[in-house]
Amino acid sequence: MDEDKVYEFLDLYRNPEQFGKPKDFDVEEEGFSESCGDNFTVYLKFDGDSIRDVHFEGSGCIISTVSISKLCSALRGRRRSSVPKMGIDDVKKLLGVKTISMSRARCATVGLDAIKLAVEKTGDE
Amino acid sequence: MNSLNVQRLRKDFPILKKKVNGHNLIYFDSAATSQKPKQVIDGIKYFYENLNSNPLRSIHYLAERATEAYSDARDKVAKFINAAPEEIVFVRNTTEAINLLSFALPLAKDDIVATTYLEHHSNLLPWFNLRNKGVMVEIVDVDKNMDLDLSYYEDMSEKTKLVTLSHESNVSGTINDAKKISRIAHKKGAMVLVDAAQSVPHLPVDVKELDVDFLAFSGHKMLGPFGIGVLYVRKSISNQLSNFLSGGEMIKSVRLNDVVYADLPNRFEAGTQNIEGAYGLGLAIDYLNAIGMRNVEKYGHALALELFEKMGQIKGLEIYGGKSRNFGAIAAFNVKGLHSHDVAYFLDKKGIAIRSGFHCAQPFVEDKLRVNGACRASLYLYNTSHEIDTFCGELKKIVNTYGRG
Ligand SMILES: Cc1ncc(COP(=O)(O)O)c(C=O)c1O
Repeated sequence: MDEDKVYEFLDLYRNPEQFGKPKDFDVEEEGFSESCGDNFTVYLKFDGDSIRDVHFEGSGCIISTVSISKLCSALRGRRRSSVPKMGIDDVKKLLGVKTISMSRARCATVGLDAIKLAVEKTGDE
Repeated sequence: MNSLNVQRLRKDFPILKKKVNGHNLIYFDSAATSQKPKQVIDGIKYFYENLNSNPLRSIHYLAERATEAYSDARDKVAKFINAAPEEIVFVRNTTEAINLLSFALPLAKDDIVATTYLEHHSNLLPWFNLRNKGVMVEIVDVDKNMDLDLSYYEDMSEKTKLVTLSHESNVSGTINDAKKISRIAHKKGAMVLVDAAQSVPHLPVDVKELDVDFLAFSGHKMLGPFGIGVLYVRKSISNQLSNFLSGGEMIKSVRLNDVVYADLPNRFEAGTQNIEGAYGLGLAIDYLNAIGMRNVEKYGHALALELFEKMGQIKGLEIYGGKSRNFGAIAAFNVKGLHSHDVAYFLDKKGIAIRSGFHCAQPFVEDKLRVNGACRASLYLYNTSHEIDTFCGELKKIVNTYGRG
């Protein structure tokens, strides 16, 4: 039931952090959840081995929007190599919840998956 | 709303007594699947305790009983839609029925299949798959009331070999005039398939009166079990169809260089069938017949009017159905400023089950409703006025607390 906590995030849902397409970015990637219709694009800017900035655009439910927004904020300045290892547990930590029901797990990870793909895509640089 | 005794028949549905998240269950998701009466649930147990064996194959007592049960079920389905028993092909569901046809119909390069914007993915993708054979797929448009553009059929090309449409849309709730469309299509020389997944459960459907060539529906949406569905095939057309799956029971004789195939319906029922499912579907039909499909239709219509009327009074909702010439008790909507999943989640906390998302009709939801998902409340014969009031009350609270109307 502690998914309820997510709904404290209504303000962040209405005015998410890191929202909008930036002028300057190195890579963009789409995240889509077919069952929900969530549809996001993430934009990453790197600085050598670290992530200088992450933004996102698009729309989805409260869980997916807040998850992606918090991820974008949390990943600024982090090392690229930390991203591939991340999973739903990291999202739960960011949201401050212990469990996410099966039917909402995809909502929580749609943003993370897009960010992972973007990092992977640029991996050889 | 006294075309049927809802309080009495609710007692037949054990699941309706359930508490969900501390509240009485309000099941408004019957377009996804209906609940089942104990007559069907107990019947399936009875089948396994008394009749179980592989029909059509062995000749012992039990095989006789199972064969009888299977054949009785076919008779019941046939009578229910005014077809002949041999015109009833048992399949898994509507999806399989339509896929079967997409393989069996003699469609070739430059032939046109006309489907519509109102369709479930299952009446789009099987036809899209034929594009690699050079078959062309055209999509009949809808107007702002979610009614089909009938002029398409009047003006359609002679190359149109198949006209396919849903009888009732699972998102907009539109009930299409299948009879009229079929008449026009036949005049143009096209065959007609009707996806009746949402209509057969809710209204009397008569294939002779509609004059269609094929009709598909699912048992699980009409009080029956999962895994059993029906494809009606007009007998006079069946020899134009090629085989779909091959194997046991779809043949008359097999020699290594000479196979004689069985006639309709066995030709399309390869392998051991879902006998339990057919038996259960027969019981569901008995149940519906005892109420009378005219009464089911009348009651559904009254529920639909009440639902749209009461939802219409809630500010902060966008409602997408209830505008077409004829519609069922399916209400697609959104709470302004909220994603459909979040609304479904809040309602679930109050024991109210609705569906959210694309409803397997992404082109319609994205292009016509112009949203990335919608909520859907869909009602059936066991739902009540009182449940509509509770639902609307909770919806109002969600709008006031979280909405941005
Ligand atoms: C109009 C319509 N067609 C087809 C289907 C597919 O039915 P099934 O999943 O039983 O094959 C549905 C079910 O949602 C439907 O509503």
